[in-house]
Amino acid sequence: MKYFSVRKSWILVFAIMTIFTLAACSSDETGGGSGEEPDEITAWAWDPNFNIAALELAKESYEKDIKLKIIENAQDDIVQKLNTGLSSGTMKGMPNIVLIEDQRAQSFLKAYPDAFYPLDEYINPDDFAAYKLAPTSLDGKQYGLPFDTGVTGLFFRTDYLKEAGYTMEDLSNITWEKYIEIGKDVKAKTGKDMISLDPNDLGLIRVMIQSAGSWYVKEDGTTVHLKDNEALKKAFQNYKAMMEADFVKANSDWSQFIAAFNSGDVATVPSGNWIGPSIEAEASQKGKWAVAQIPRLDMEGAVNASNQGGSSFYVLNIPGKEKAAEFLAETFGSSKQFYQDLVLDVGALGTYKPASEGEAYQAENEYFGGQKLISDFSKWMEEIPSVNYGMHTYAIEDILAAEMQNYLNGKSLEDALADAQAQAEAQLK
Amino acid sequence: MRKLQRIATYIFLSIAAIVSIFPFLWMLVSMTNKSVDITQGRLLPGTHLFENLTVLFQQVDMVTALVNSTIIAVITTFLTLLIGSLAGYGFEIYRTPGKDRIFNILLLSMMIPFAAIMIPLYRLFGGISATIPFLGIDTLAAAILPTIITAFFIFFFRQNTKMFARDLVEAGRIDGLSELGIFFRIYLPTMKTSYAAAAIIAFMNSWNNFLWPLVVLQSPEKQTIPLLISKLGAGYTPDFGVIMSAIVIATLPTAIVFFLMQKHFVAGMMGSVKG
Repeated sequence: MKYFSVRKSWILVFAIMTIFTLAACSSDETGGGSGEEPDEITAWAWDPNFNIAALELAKESYEKDIKLKIIENAQDDIVQKLNTGLSSGTMKGMPNIVLIEDQRAQSFLKAYPDAFYPLDEYINPDDFAAYKLAPTSLDGKQYGLPFDTGVTGLFFRTDYLKEAGYTMEDLSNITWEKYIEIGKDVKAKTGKDMISLDPNDLGLIRVMIQSAGSWYVKEDGTTVHLKDNEALKKAFQNYKAMMEADFVKANSDWSQFIAAFNSGDVATVPSGNWIGPSIEAEASQKGKWAVAQIPRLDMEGAVNASNQGGSSFYVLNIPGKEKAAEFLAETFGSSKQFYQDLVLDVGALGTYKPASEGEAYQAENEYFGGQKLISDFSKWMEEIPSVNYGMHTYAIEDILAAEMQNYLNGKSLEDALADAQAQAEAQLK
Repeated sequence: MRKLQRIATYIFLSIAAIVSIFPFLWMLVSMTNKSVDITQGRLLPGTHLFENLTVLFQQVDMVTALVNSTIIAVITTFLTLLIGSLAGYGFEIYRTPGKDRIFNILLLSMMIPFAAIMIPLYRLFGGISATIPFLGIDTLAAAILPTIITAFFIFFFRQNTKMFARDLVEAGRIDGLSELGIFFRIYLPTMKTSYAAAAIIAFMNSWNNFLWPLVVLQSPEKQTIPLLISKLGAGYTPDFGVIMSAIVIATLPTAIVFFLMQKHFVAGMMGSVKG
């Protein structure tokens, strides 16, 4: 064994060091899962400038003593982590508070019935915009604390529209048909495209159908509703009309989408209010933008208000839940002052209705030519029709996106939607 | 005619080289540009390198992530090589009844995608957390342990051991070396080449590993580089200049390891010829 001496002992040393490092890197208890009430509660959210900043602000404004650890993760990563943790059934390492996008919320609430803690005793759901409640509650219990709104607006270049002879008034209270008409005119007179679209992203279709109170599923959240869906038909027709009108600048991902308006290539951006900061990022276009109400579908019951995106906070049913729920209730759930600060410091627009009376909501936005943007958005927010997003928004959308291509290539609308319906029913059984 | 052929070859190779180098070049150029310029497709170097780096280091804890990734990658590489080569050596050199059957079962485990075993694995580590917290969820140990024993490296070393002269084992035994002595004194030095190749693969796998560290590491103090980059790109208004800077920094260590090992690669070849 003498060969196995000094010269090779570095391997042994390294092995021992490894074990020690592993031990040293280990942590104290985090999250929850164990039976005891933890000192520290954790929260998962995404976007440092928006959701994380909002949580930081809430932590600052909370009067009681709380140890809140705010952890930033990408949204897709949070979905992955939650699904893994909750399916494994251990709840170990799970956070106390988590932010979930509204369109995904039902699938979490239904798939993991005991994992979330109802907030009915802590907040009054009627204080929040009505359209937020369907996605965030299940079986009559309110699980989510409604947070930001994705209230839509028609962002437009005032200079291009003016050149073509249109003002804010011409864009207010219009239908998508009228929008397409204006678009053709703008293209003819200024040479600028009207809109930038990603053919694989049906976000705009969702905006259109929600303005008529419709969705891919019926009110129960599970019955697929594509065939004979009047709103969806109209939305598809509008989409095709846009594509054929030759005023669409195609994009294939987010960065190209942003580039389309930052470079001044398109005249309008119909989008959730959260696109504002991305538009403002191009300082040279200051004063050249304004926001009108989103166009509506040409049918009964459709309004000039819709929603795109938005998320809510949920409390997990693990030790520390009371602390977490109390914290959320006293900040996001009931503090008008907090929402004023939120608008001023973070630029985040919540869905807490009493907050709109505050002063901060009346501020004028210089970039958008002095328009009272926040006040406008919060007015439109209350008009958004409420729909139950159900569990399968993204799964159905994948099917629809394929059928949309077929429809654009000449398949009849009835056939396209009927095929999508059949496929969705088979897949989601 | 031959000259023409040659020109055609060079043109083809040049195009192939440009295609494969372009993304890398774009990454380096974008690192020096503002986010707005990148989205508009600017391909010239800009002046924003310093700003991007400053924002990056202010916004996220790059140093901690680098340290974590290094710890995980180095320990994983070391343990993977040690265990993989011991097992591969054992499978090839020793005669045991049914060893081929066991080996086949082992190979079958390569067919199972990681996503399929992730949830049971998480449950397992959740259970470990309750009794041995320093090996449980949200520890670097948990990120390392499931990745160190892989059928791939056992297979890799078994295949390479076929090239190893079995006579050397006999010679070692006659000279009175213990079995472990033979492994460390004879096998290991002669197989440097295989170790270098395996080290490159193991290090890169571990450095770029995303899914398992993502689900098992919760605290920001424990996150690795790929997790940090994923986080950077996920905001509503991503800053592409900053993201590119982070990616360049993340790419450097794998490049360094590759070039370091490449030297050993050559040295290993020479060594085996001499021996």
